[in-house]
Amino acid sequence: MTPVRRNRKNGRPKSALPHAGASARNYGLPLPGMPDEEFGGSLIVIEGMDGSGRSTQISLLTEWLESEGFAVETMGLRRSGLVAKDIDALLAENTITRMTLTLMYATDFYDQLEHRIIPALRSDFVVLADRYFYTLIARAAARGIESDYLHGLYEMALRPDLTFWLNVRPEAAFEREFRKSHTISYWESGRDLCLSDDLFQSFIMYQAKIKKEFEALSARHGFLAMDGEASVATVNTELRKRIAAHLGIQRTHYRPSAALAHLWR
Amino acid sequence: MASRIAAGTGPTSIESVQTSREKSQLLEPARGYPGALIVVEGIDGSGKSTQLYLLKRWLEIGGYRLHFTEWNSSPLVKSATRRGKKRRLLTPTTFSLLHAADFADRCERQIMPLLHSGYLVLADRYVYTAFARDVARSCSPRWLRNLYRFAPIPDITFYFRAPLDVAVNRIMSGRPKLKYYEAGMDLNLSLDRAESFRIFQGRILAQYDEMIESDRFVVMDGALPVNKLQKQMRQFVKSRIDLSRFAPKKAARRPR
Repeated sequence: MTPVRRNRKNGRPKSALPHAGASARNYGLPLPGMPDEEFGGSLIVIEGMDGSGRSTQISLLTEWLESEGFAVETMGLRRSGLVAKDIDALLAENTITRMTLTLMYATDFYDQLEHRIIPALRSDFVVLADRYFYTLIARAAARGIESDYLHGLYEMALRPDLTFWLNVRPEAAFEREFRKSHTISYWESGRDLCLSDDLFQSFIMYQAKIKKEFEALSARHGFLAMDGEASVATVNTELRKRIAAHLGIQRTHYRPSAALAHLWR
Repeated sequence: MASRIAAGTGPTSIESVQTSREKSQLLEPARGYPGALIVVEGIDGSGKSTQLYLLKRWLEIGGYRLHFTEWNSSPLVKSATRRGKKRRLLTPTTFSLLHAADFADRCERQIMPLLHSGYLVLADRYVYTAFARDVARSCSPRWLRNLYRFAPIPDITFYFRAPLDVAVNRIMSGRPKLKYYEAGMDLNLSLDRAESFRIFQGRILAQYDEMIESDRFVVMDGALPVNKLQKQMRQFVKSRIDLSRFAPKKAARRPR
C-alpha cells in the first residue's frame, strides 16, 4: 500500500482531489467524537530502531523545514500529556505484562494524535513523527500478540504522507547506542523476553525479531526504506529530496547551522 | 485453548434453565482452565453490586475458593485515569483505551492465573460495560470487540435490568454530585448534569439490551425484592456450575 497523498499541500489552495474528510486519511475508522473535517498539513514519519539516527535526522529536518518557512511539530513515543509518566513508571517497575503495556502505549499514541498531531495539521503544520504506531505493532508482535489484533487497535490512526524506515543492522545500532550512552536499555534489548542472559546477544536477537516485523509492515504500508548506516549527510540529502518533492520545495540545498553542525558527520 | 469474547450463540434466561435441569446443563463448558467466571452487568443503580456481594458472601460462608474483582480497580493505571478525568483530557478513544489497559492488567495478573489455578472468579462489571458505555460514547463496536478479544468468556453473565427511572433515582438519592465523565458531560447531551446522566444511562441501557442475545446474558429483573433476586441468582449458579470443585478439600460436599 502506498502512502496516501493529502489533498492539500502547504501554502497552496486545495486541490481537486475528492476526500471525505478525515476518514480518507485513517486506516478504516474515523476517530469517535471528532468532527468530519478536511485538514491540511503533512504527516511525515521516521521509523527505525534506537541507534538508527532517527533523532539526529529529525533535528536536521526541523531546522531545514523551518528555514524553508514551514511550521513544524514533532511527536514520538511516550510523549503524551496523559500517560507518558505512567508508562515510564510502569517500565521502571517491570511488573507490567504485554497486553497492558500494549494498551498503555496505544493510549499514549491516540492522546498525541488527538491533542497534538491533528491540531497541528489543522493549522497547516508539518508533523515529524519520531516513530509511529508501526514500532508499537512490531514490539507487541515480537511478544506474540496477533498482528490483526494490533492493526485493529490502530484503525483510527492517520495514514502518514511519507514513512521513512532507517534500516540498520542490529550490530551497528548496538555500537552506536553503546558509544552514545555506554549502556543498553532493558526494553530496547528485549530483556523481558529472556532471549539470552548476555545483553549483547539479547539485543541482537530482539532487534532481529523487530526487524522481521518491520519487513512485513514495510510491505503492507509502503515504507521508504533507507540505508541507516550511510553517513548523516547522505541520509539527510535523500530525506530532503523526498520531502521537498512532497511539499513542493524547489531548492533543497541545506547546511546545518552552528548549533547543529556537530550532528553533520 | 480458552475461548475468547466473540459473538455468542443464542439467548439464555433464568426460566429456560430452571425448568429444564438436565444433566448436560451441569457440564462445564470447555474453557481450557479449571476455574469459572461469573460476571454481573447492568447500568448504575440496577442493583448488580448488591447482588454480587450477597452471592460472594454466600460462597465465602460456604468456604469456596473465590476471588472478587471490580471494573476499573487496577492500581497500575489508576493515576493516569484520575489525571485524565481531573483535567478532562480524555476523548472517547483514550477513555476506552485506559479502561482496556486497566482490564488487561487485571486479566493478565489476576483473572487468568486464578482461572488456571481453579478459582471461582466473581467480577463486578466486565467487558460488556466497555461495550455498552463506549458505544454510547460513539466508539466503533467493531473496534471495541477487537480491543477486548483477549478476555475470557464468562461462564455466566447476569444482566440486572432495572427500569431507567428506578436506577437513576437510586443513584441520584444516594450520590447527589455526579462526576463529569460519569454523567457523560463530555458528550454534550445536556448542560444539566442530572439530565445528561439520565440520557447517557438510557443510551447505555439500550446498548446492554442489544447484547442480551448475542452475548447470552442471563436477564435478572432488577425491580424484584433483593432476597428474591438473590435466591434466583444462587439457584442459577448451582444449576450451571459444579460448585463442589471450588469447595475446600477437607469438607468437600456437593451442594444440592
